[in-house]
Amino acid sequence: MTTIRRFCCNDLLRFASVNLDHLTETFNMSFYMTYLARWPDYFNVAEGSGNRIMATYLGLLGNGQWALDEGSRLRNRLVFYVMGKVEGQGESWHGHVTAVTVSSEYRRQQLAKKLMNLLEDISDNIDKAYFVDLFVRASNTPAIKMYEKLGYVIYRRVLCYYSGEEDGLDMRKALSQDVEKKSIIPLKRPVTPDELEYD
Amino acid sequence: MASKFGLAGGIPERRVRPIWDAIDSRQFKTALKLVTQLLAKFPNSPYVLALKGLTLERMGKTDEALSVCLSAKELLYTNDSVLIDDLTLSTLQIVFQRLDHLDLATSCYEYACGKFPNNELMTGLFNCYVREYSFVKQQQTAIKMYKHAGEERFLLWAVCSIQLQVFCGNGGEKLLFLAEGLLKKHVASHSLREPEALMVYISILEQQAKYGDALEILNGKLGSLLMIEVDKLRIQGRLLARSGDYAAAADVFQKILESCPDDWECFLHYLGCLLEDDSIWCNEAVYEPIHPRKFFNCKISHLTDELFDTRISNASAFMQKLQADTTDNSIRCPYLANMEIERQKLLNGKGNTDYLIEALLQYFYRFGHLACFTSDVEILVEALTPDKKTELLEKLKKCSDSLSSVPTKALGQSITLFKVQELMGNMFKLPENELEASSVQMVELYCKNLPLSKDLDAQESMHGEELLSMACNVLVQLFWRTKHVGYLVEAIMLLEFGLSIRRYVWQYKILLLHLYSHFGSVPLAYEQYKSLDVKNILMETVTHHILPQMLVSPLWMELHNLLKDYIKFMDDHFRESADLTFLAYCHKNYSKVIEFVQFKERLQLSSQYLVARVESPLLQLKQNADGIEEEEGVLESLKCGIHFLELSNEIGSKSLTFNEDLQSRPWWTPTSEKNHLLGSFEGISYFPRENLTKEMDANLRRVIEKKSLLPRMIYLSIQSASTSLKEHVEVHGSHHPKISLELKLLLERYTKMLGFSLTEAIGMVVGVANGEKSTVVFGPNLIDWLNFTVFLNAWSLNSQEQVQPDGDECWPRTWCILDSLLQKYILEVVKSIEPQICSPWSDLPLLVQLVTEPLAWHSLIIQACVRAAVPSGKKKKKSGPSEQSSSKLTHTIRDSIQLLSGLLGEIMKWLREWINRPENQNFEDILSPLQRKGQNEGPGQVYHLLEDFISNMDEIEIELSDRISLSLKSWSPADVARKMVTGKCKVLTEFLKICESKMKLFQALKQQISQL
Repeated sequence: MTTIRRFCCNDLLRFASVNLDHLTETFNMSFYMTYLARWPDYFNVAEGSGNRIMATYLGLLGNGQWALDEGSRLRNRLVFYVMGKVEGQGESWHGHVTAVTVSSEYRRQQLAKKLMNLLEDISDNIDKAYFVDLFVRASNTPAIKMYEKLGYVIYRRVLCYYSGEEDGLDMRKALSQDVEKKSIIPLKRPVTPDELEYD
Repeated sequence: MASKFGLAGGIPERRVRPIWDAIDSRQFKTALKLVTQLLAKFPNSPYVLALKGLTLERMGKTDEALSVCLSAKELLYTNDSVLIDDLTLSTLQIVFQRLDHLDLATSCYEYACGKFPNNELMTGLFNCYVREYSFVKQQQTAIKMYKHAGEERFLLWAVCSIQLQVFCGNGGEKLLFLAEGLLKKHVASHSLREPEALMVYISILEQQAKYGDALEILNGKLGSLLMIEVDKLRIQGRLLARSGDYAAAADVFQKILESCPDDWECFLHYLGCLLEDDSIWCNEAVYEPIHPRKFFNCKISHLTDELFDTRISNASAFMQKLQADTTDNSIRCPYLANMEIERQKLLNGKGNTDYLIEALLQYFYRFGHLACFTSDVEILVEALTPDKKTELLEKLKKCSDSLSSVPTKALGQSITLFKVQELMGNMFKLPENELEASSVQMVELYCKNLPLSKDLDAQESMHGEELLSMACNVLVQLFWRTKHVGYLVEAIMLLEFGLSIRRYVWQYKILLLHLYSHFGSVPLAYEQYKSLDVKNILMETVTHHILPQMLVSPLWMELHNLLKDYIKFMDDHFRESADLTFLAYCHKNYSKVIEFVQFKERLQLSSQYLVARVESPLLQLKQNADGIEEEEGVLESLKCGIHFLELSNEIGSKSLTFNEDLQSRPWWTPTSEKNHLLGSFEGISYFPRENLTKEMDANLRRVIEKKSLLPRMIYLSIQSASTSLKEHVEVHGSHHPKISLELKLLLERYTKMLGFSLTEAIGMVVGVANGEKSTVVFGPNLIDWLNFTVFLNAWSLNSQEQVQPDGDECWPRTWCILDSLLQKYILEVVKSIEPQICSPWSDLPLLVQLVTEPLAWHSLIIQACVRAAVPSGKKKKKSGPSEQSSSKLTHTIRDSIQLLSGLLGEIMKWLREWINRPENQNFEDILSPLQRKGQNEGPGQVYHLLEDFISNMDEIEIELSDRISLSLKSWSPADVARKMVTGKCKVLTEFLKICESKMKLFQALKQQISQL
């Protein structure tokens, strides 16, 4: 049962049982609140019948400058570069999934799929994006398998993306604007975090 | 940050950039060098000065930073020729903010805006007011900007500021009418562009109960701003329902359900409208989504019978249709909805329980394999009478003969059957042998199904993991019933077994955390807590699992870190929250503006945060109590406890928030204040768990109120003791009335919180000390009472008032009373601790508290007295009656030191006995209750099952992955037992260290006083 609605601050006090899962990162407050302040439509939550939080995901649309999951950097950015700039117009206009996680009690019900589809729909139909992308730890096989099932392909490997220790995989799914599916043609060589267009 | 002409703050950008780069890369020395060079060239540039201030602040030179920024401010104010731009001001603001001088930044902007009222600077000023939470000034500034530029967003800034005055300030609701007027006027001339602006407009109307107006706007042209149709429908439905047009609202919700048939909340709204239940739409439910309602209140419908029947049958028919229309097998809502409808009928005396039972069975066939089955049906089962519950259970058990042919589904169904029994409280009725049997069954089922997980990744949750948690719960219940500690050890072994197979299962870790705590192995509990990687906002919701145990443990280092990290997280959030609010303003997400401000307030009133704020200085005071100078340093840094007095004064009028996630706690300790295992066995139902926080509220408020008096009372007591002896020596009879008076007032407040007047409290203490009253009268507030006696004694040292109306000489008498109370209770607790290593030793924390609180505070009074008594330099002693009285006090102190060292000696002897006990003996004590082979009852059966399973693993044909078999073999009960002993000994060792330090202090004091 998926009552999907916008995530609100009070939900931060209710997602403990989802976030205690070891693969789910609990970011700092400015990270969540920046998403809420900037892309509230892309931060949703699903609730179950007992009003337990079942799943959360957050994502963003734009040119991915918030794709990094390192909150401290974001905070610095917030204080010093509040003016910002816009890049990646045209075919690099895309939706980005930052985190998807489902509480253990509600797994194996294709909830993640529903949430991902919703985000893809918003990116595709409302914001007219070209593709949706996400980053995943190269060791997180279960997640990679799941994303592949949902139609994502590994676009490229990002060396030492996670805290300089673990590689990340940049996975993408083309949306209807990208008729020729150019955005998902895999890169042949891995890239370093410095080479990422949007950091 | 360059301006249009390659100039930044009036300085060529190429000169400024390297400074920013150096600051960004934390090369502060380089930055300072560069900025000093630049300053030589532009000595009167406020911008360069601001950059210098920033660099200095980053280097930690806060005083210099402040003075540099103040000169920049001075220049801005006095020198008409200097450039005033946002870059300069915002840089200054960063520094002022970091130096906690928001007011200075604000006045810079105010001055600048007075001179050059352009929108850039006004935005900066608005931002200053956002940081200061000055909602009225925010509104005024935004209105000026709106008048100046006519932009929609500035108007909305003003409207949000008005809403904030109403919700978070003291603005009356009439202000909303003003906001409405502003919006109306703007819409008439400019319409609206942003969906969020529309949402604000609607909310303003809704808050004034103008639902009709809101609907008109939503249904009009502006409604097209909402791109997602369902979102629009939801608002429409809500407005219709709140306006009382339930029929129209029900239609809207029906429409939503047609497109989202699995939307449970929408179904509740739909049914609520059909039954014309208005409780779902009260303000609390709409604006307080943190504790949302589950299902419906048990409320009898006010509809006529006929109407009720029609509405219910309409709902039923609609749900049947939804069931028939959906092809997606995973959709549960229409099925669950059917049962909810059945429940509503029952509540209104029109239902048939058999239908509900039948529907539950059908639901079980369909979704019984899902982990969420039980939480789905929780409330429905509650609606059944005990007999019907049994009937349901019997029928479900019969289903187990025909479980699904898919093994994972069959496993899920079997688990659900156990869970339903747990849910019904059935487990509490079973005889002990049946309970043992069911724990064995659960573990057997787990082991048997391990092959299902053989292809899963090590990080993925395995099939049947819940079984071990459930079996653990059964074993804990057996422990509660029989008090046989073997079950407790067995539960621990079982969970450790589970963790050795997959070390990520947080549910096991939380259970273990509590089991270890109960067992008295707090270090192991803390280890489990650490392994949960609790950080950021989880500290607010998860720390309750460990904090209360740590507060009364001798693990001061760990407690210090726990408190420090948590308080830092909260304070950081309070500091940055306004920046994020401003970000929401900038991105035109107005609803988030309100949300952020309310959320910050919610966290500021967090009961746990307030506890931590009080406990953190108390810990410091405990840690430094063995050196009076250090303690005085701590007290000075706490402003002599004044802040905490304020907190204590205010707390009564504040409504505290409870943000703990209590769902994850084990049933036997549903809140941090409750531990069923400490009491005798009784059947309890732990589903559903609601309203737990209400009880906590009153208690915690009192605890915070009481504890926040302590720093001040300690301070005053030291003062009182320090002067008492001098006074006796120098001018007999001259006292410090101010200290004495304040301390007396605080004593009165303190006893009032304990439920007595000061005179009554003194009577109690005296009564217990001379044996007229039982030692149990202090109840759970023992430590508070002893603390009171300590401060009472300190007060009496310096007061002309007599403690007892009939009293002869008051102060040595109080002193003796205090000593005898400490002696009585400490010896009693030492004696009461059971002689086995595997007993929980639940009194140990009390002993730790006795030593680290009343005894420690008392030792401070003694130190103060001795310091005052020991002649420093060549001061001449006077003789006469005062000398007599001071020598009396000296005697009392000497006796007291003797007595207290004796008590410490007793505790230390006891501690050393345990610490030096041969490890093997401890180890055997733990394992022996489990190793009674061949017994068919009592603890150890699950344990043997596990042992047999592992040793026969290679023989029985069970297909496991190498990873699982290897980890199974790595499970070592001996290691676990050893760990348990070490954990327990660590507590003792830490406690011993504390005692040793106090003993050393007393020895030194003894020496000093012997010179008198």
